[in-house]
Amino acid sequence: MYTMGLDFGSTASKGVVLKDGKEIVCTAIITSGTGTSGPERVKEKLLKESNLLESDMEAVVVTGYGRMTYQGAKKQISELSCHAKGVHFLVPDVGTVIDIGGQDIKALLLDKNGNLSNFVMNDKCAAGTGRFLDVMAGVLETEVSMLGEISMMSKAPVNISSTCTVFAESEVISHLSAGVNKEDIIAGIHISVAGRVAALAKRVGIKDKVVMVGGVAKNIGVVKAMEDALGKNIEVPKLAQLTGALGAALFAFEALNK
Amino acid sequence: MTTIDKLISELEHIAENPRYAVADYLSKTGSKVVGVAPVYTPEELVHAAGMLPVGIWGGQNVTLDLAKQYFPAFCNSVVFTCMELALKGTYNQLSAAIIPGMDDTLICLGQNWKAAIKDIPFITLVYPQNRKLSAGVKYLVSELENVKKELEKVCGKEISEEAIFNSIDIYNEHRKTMREFVELAAIHPNSINNVQRSHIIKSAYFMLKEEHTQKVKLINDELKKLPEEKYEGHKIVTTGFILDSKEILEIMESNALRIVGDDIAHETRQFRTDVPRKENALLSIATQWSEIEGCSFAYDPFRIRGKMVAKLAKDRGAEGVVFALLKFCDTEEYDAPILLDDIHDAGLKAVTIEIDQESGSIEQIRTRLQTFAEML
Repeated sequence: MYTMGLDFGSTASKGVVLKDGKEIVCTAIITSGTGTSGPERVKEKLLKESNLLESDMEAVVVTGYGRMTYQGAKKQISELSCHAKGVHFLVPDVGTVIDIGGQDIKALLLDKNGNLSNFVMNDKCAAGTGRFLDVMAGVLETEVSMLGEISMMSKAPVNISSTCTVFAESEVISHLSAGVNKEDIIAGIHISVAGRVAALAKRVGIKDKVVMVGGVAKNIGVVKAMEDALGKNIEVPKLAQLTGALGAALFAFEALNK
Repeated sequence: MTTIDKLISELEHIAENPRYAVADYLSKTGSKVVGVAPVYTPEELVHAAGMLPVGIWGGQNVTLDLAKQYFPAFCNSVVFTCMELALKGTYNQLSAAIIPGMDDTLICLGQNWKAAIKDIPFITLVYPQNRKLSAGVKYLVSELENVKKELEKVCGKEISEEAIFNSIDIYNEHRKTMREFVELAAIHPNSINNVQRSHIIKSAYFMLKEEHTQKVKLINDELKKLPEEKYEGHKIVTTGFILDSKEILEIMESNALRIVGDDIAHETRQFRTDVPRKENALLSIATQWSEIEGCSFAYDPFRIRGKMVAKLAKDRGAEGVVFALLKFCDTEEYDAPILLDDIHDAGLKAVTIEIDQESGSIEQIRTRLQTFAEML
């Protein structure tokens, strides 16, 4: 029995096909989010790579920012519930999940059975999100995917405000004008992101194991800065960007078996 | 349409069209209307003067333009939208406005109103935070004497002691009726939905209280005829400053979250505490302020609000609490950590949603409420 989970975020569309609620058959990521061709393309990619037909999917659950506008799903479930479900599947002893996506930061507290017991989200502000890193990468003329690697060479990270993306951007420009090394500026940006996210996460409580997911979890610099800010080791699953879609596919399987 | 549907629909119409309700009052009575700003005002004095007190609590999806000249960006949206609507002439039916200086932001609203809204006289009123001391009550009596004098100038006659006592009785009867309504609504969750509940409470801001009492008593009578109802969803209680956005209340509906009780300043906090009978009318009104409990605007060294909300939730069979936190309302924000801890300690789940009257974007609120419903 095949189920599909789709996660349409603000900057990327992700999908997972699951067999019998246990085996991950196929995954796909398209770097275009809701409101673009991303949702359709990710579904097509999944079907092509798995050699399956849409009619082979017993149930589809959709999550993410674009969940309410997508037609053809059995159910729409919030991305927070889906991330909790997906991470618990990959890391059964997880306690806290930190998800940094394109425009959202979320911290989830899970009970020992993997049920969501509390959560917090950022308010309408881009500081500390993936979008914040995109803006900074633009100012630094660097690919966002390179930020983590470059920051690891830093010897003296600078201080960057964590309050506002616009103010932080002007601080970065000031540091560049003053001739500060890019690696020290980037490390400062990561510390700024970690400070903001850690403050939010502490509001729900930090419980071992701490797992980080979402696109920003691929940035080793942010992960290290988060470990320093929380004083905890952080596990990043291989499918860090796909846990929402995985959770959705698991919910689809559960819905069929209810 | 059944009797109860007709009654609810009438009050919903008033809540959604306050200007027409006020215009109707003015044309029928030839009297005057006085604006009463958040959080508490001595409406009884306005009523005793033969005028209609009308709540001014901002409005939904108001585009801010003129008010930005008077406040910094990080002011709460109720104050912003009140000022914007006043500057644009939406409140031009008012003959005066009472704006109590209950926190720093409301003090600024009063000052800015005085400077900018020349056609609608501002009546100042400062509630003392040392409210349980006899000196605090005495101080508030002196403040109320000033409000009374200012209102007498507006209505052009003296407000008698007898008239104030009569208005206190009318208001206490209204409070009792409203408390009965919210209890009846809680045990009839299929008959009264979130939006209807909100509208029934909100309509009181635009009607004479004796008329509102009469309508709500009829609704209560109809509810009493019905058997208690089982709700196939999640019962919740709400806390916060204001939660009257139809869109947010409907998101709760679509996620099967039904409000069975509230600790909202704009709602139940208005009728939770009666005015006690004292030797004179102003002392009676002033004493009520010393008896209000569990409100972020009334200094409480014991911080019992969270425990009160948790008890309300348990008494009404609710599974969780939605904290409608007015964005940039520091008075409410300071309460948040203790409030949420007390709710969690009572074994209840809680979620915070951010209320911004200016913003039309509610997707984050949708995600939070959907997740909360899934968590329950």
